[in-house]
Amino acid sequence: MKADIAVVGSGLAALIATRTLQQAGRSPLLIWPGLTSLYFTYATVDVLGYADPTTAEPVEQPEAAIGQLIADHPDHPYALAGLDALRDGTALLIDWLRAAGFTWQGSLARNLLLPTAIGTPKPSCLVPASMAAGDLRRDEPIVFCGFAGYQDFVPELAASNLSRWWGRGDQAVRAIRVPLPGFDGTRLFTSIDLARSFEDDGFRREVAGRIRQQIPADGVRIGVPAVLGLTHDMDVHSGFMAEVGHPVFEIPTLPPSVLGLRLFDRLRKHIQESGVEIIWAAPAHAAEVSGGRCDRIFLKSAGREQPIDARAYVLALEDTVDGALRAGVHTVSDPFFHRSLASHAVPTERTDESLFNPQPFASIGYPVTDRLQPRDDEGGPLAGNVFVAGGAIAGYDPVGSKSRGGLAIATGYRAAKEAMAA
Amino acid sequence: MITEEIGALSDTVEEAAPVEACTKCTACNTVCPVARSTEIFRGPKFLGPESERYRSQPEAAVTAGLDLCSGCKLCEVTCPSQVTIQEYIRRAQNKGAQEKGRTLRDWVLGHTRLLSRFGSMTAPLANFGNRNPAVRWLMERVLGIHRERPLPRYQWLTFERWFKRHPHPANARRTVAYFYGCWVNYNERRLGEQVVAILERNGIDVIVPKQQCCGIPAVVNANMDLARTYGVENVRRLSGLPADVDIIASSTSCGLMLKHDYSHLLDIPGAEQVGARVYDICEYLWMLHEAGELNRDFQPVKTRLLYHAPCHLKSHGIGYPAMRLLRLIPGVELEEVDEGCCGISGTFGVKVEKYDLSMKIGSRLFAAVKAAGSDAVLADCETCRMQVEHGTGSHSAHPIDILARAYGHG
Repeated sequence: MKADIAVVGSGLAALIATRTLQQAGRSPLLIWPGLTSLYFTYATVDVLGYADPTTAEPVEQPEAAIGQLIADHPDHPYALAGLDALRDGTALLIDWLRAAGFTWQGSLARNLLLPTAIGTPKPSCLVPASMAAGDLRRDEPIVFCGFAGYQDFVPELAASNLSRWWGRGDQAVRAIRVPLPGFDGTRLFTSIDLARSFEDDGFRREVAGRIRQQIPADGVRIGVPAVLGLTHDMDVHSGFMAEVGHPVFEIPTLPPSVLGLRLFDRLRKHIQESGVEIIWAAPAHAAEVSGGRCDRIFLKSAGREQPIDARAYVLALEDTVDGALRAGVHTVSDPFFHRSLASHAVPTERTDESLFNPQPFASIGYPVTDRLQPRDDEGGPLAGNVFVAGGAIAGYDPVGSKSRGGLAIATGYRAAKEAMAA
Repeated sequence: MITEEIGALSDTVEEAAPVEACTKCTACNTVCPVARSTEIFRGPKFLGPESERYRSQPEAAVTAGLDLCSGCKLCEVTCPSQVTIQEYIRRAQNKGAQEKGRTLRDWVLGHTRLLSRFGSMTAPLANFGNRNPAVRWLMERVLGIHRERPLPRYQWLTFERWFKRHPHPANARRTVAYFYGCWVNYNERRLGEQVVAILERNGIDVIVPKQQCCGIPAVVNANMDLARTYGVENVRRLSGLPADVDIIASSTSCGLMLKHDYSHLLDIPGAEQVGARVYDICEYLWMLHEAGELNRDFQPVKTRLLYHAPCHLKSHGIGYPAMRLLRLIPGVELEEVDEGCCGISGTFGVKVEKYDLSMKIGSRLFAAVKAAGSDAVLADCETCRMQVEHGTGSHSAHPIDILARAYGHG
């Protein structure tokens, strides 16, 4: 099949690249290898949370901190993509979110500091409006509210962790639990099941009433797991808040991510309805290169390999979840150019024993040129019309630095611009 | 990152994902239309890879809940690790049926071709019966076919017999073989006639090899042995075609069986070579277009259309060629209505205990279709079309119907 520009991937980088191309009047073809990282990750847009991985000092002003990062590390993917790509890409995302019916808050100028499900602080840049009231730089007391039988959010744990470091006094953090109608403890359920139940007005009102009974005092805000609706989440959130009678904020929980589902499903639908074709369920896995350009890539479609002939390609892959990189025992290779991206004497070299330490595998990926083309050993591009975006770029740890979203935006935007010029 | 099994101790990565490739991410459960609509269904993750770890050949199959899987394959479309979730469910369900037997109803629905042949031979009577409330009441009581589910209308003149008298065009550039499937043969001959006319309009001669049911009704009614028997017969006949003859299917699910499930789920020898030659009709016509060979002598068709992409089309991994094609026709206004599974899933929504669930799954699509308004809702899959008509009252057609009108064959 022929295409103008093929974008491979399904995460935020792929969506940003596709939208950038569409806005510029080009015809992108979006190729989906399977579900996106947005289903697993936090789904807030984290631009830069920690500039120095050795300290626990969160970044307050991401735009300024990235300026400094670029000056200090000219090889960092942020430096390659450029600060303008981050600014323009972020503006594009904010417009798009609005057009797709979302209300989000935040700006590149300042990070919010939001509580996680275990009560630790996490710096995020752009967040859904339903999370914003959790900002820990504000002083109102917090009541963490869990739901009986729901195992992915333990309000007592969140409260005890938060009160340990927050410094707002003993009375500032509390935990409560309420039972849910219809979830009697015999049934296994996930955050998705709860989110669907919250779309039912009767269910939502009943739960709101039970919370209100437990919180007589005014002047508190209530943190609940992010389960307030899937498709009509903004109505659910505002209705619920009015019924509870206090500000309510959502806290992301373990996968599957309700926040990620909302974001991905709506942006995907929006872009599809505006005329972008998506090829579902077709992992892309080989590139044919001649004369310094990629002639075609191959998809594993039912029955046979399907060639996609495009003028340019954006490989907006996510490394760990969509098969972008293939890890053997000793080497990690890429499925397109079949190059070794990392090699290890033993597989354990690419992991750290402590789960919460920076993991070496997180920064494995394609080395790229200053135009985000995958690079050969001599430093030149492997193919002049292929551009990499998102987590598959080597040399940064999106998890440890809390920069996955910002890099997806900056590299997705820049790769799309380069692809148009290629 | 896909990590190979350490046991292999080499750097060659397995292409087919084993059950261990499931990372339990739950993506499949979040997209499953059945899990979305009923809390008693435990979802593809649990019934597929998670249960698979505990299944073994000598032990009796645990089948509770397996029959609620409608077979839409959206779980596999979604899986970031390419786990064959559906195949685990189907094999377990089949093993259960081998051990415990299956209902008369499921036996009958698995033998669609036999049933359709009977319906076609007795067409006026069968059609009367299928629309008669007393007969339908009896069918529900005896067979378990829901009385409110409209059943397809049978036609006496089959596509096979029509085609025998159809003259072949002179000076054709090439030849393709048409896998028309039971639906075109017994229920919608007109679609087959349109496929033939469109291909001939493009200088392509159509041949119709003798063929059997593709087997998908048997697969989803837990009768994989029957499906394999059908599949072996089809593979044998289609393998005999000259090497330069491509195979065209106009039914999404028949095409998917030929392309993929014969070689993977049913493990039929020679099926891979046949599958590589199979094209969906719209996929094939789009290839002609890209090669500059599509006859674009279209009359304008002034119409406002919605397109519903069948779940099994997503499994083809070819995008939506029907939308691309129809946008070449002047006057056509076409929009996708992206509300997921329609709910019927072949014979699933026909069953008395599944009918309500099937309508609930489709309710989002029905609401969106009604809200958008259109002259017709297009879908490549015949049972999707039945469901859309039943759930919305709108007219539904195969995309080929619009193309045929543009060529003056409406």
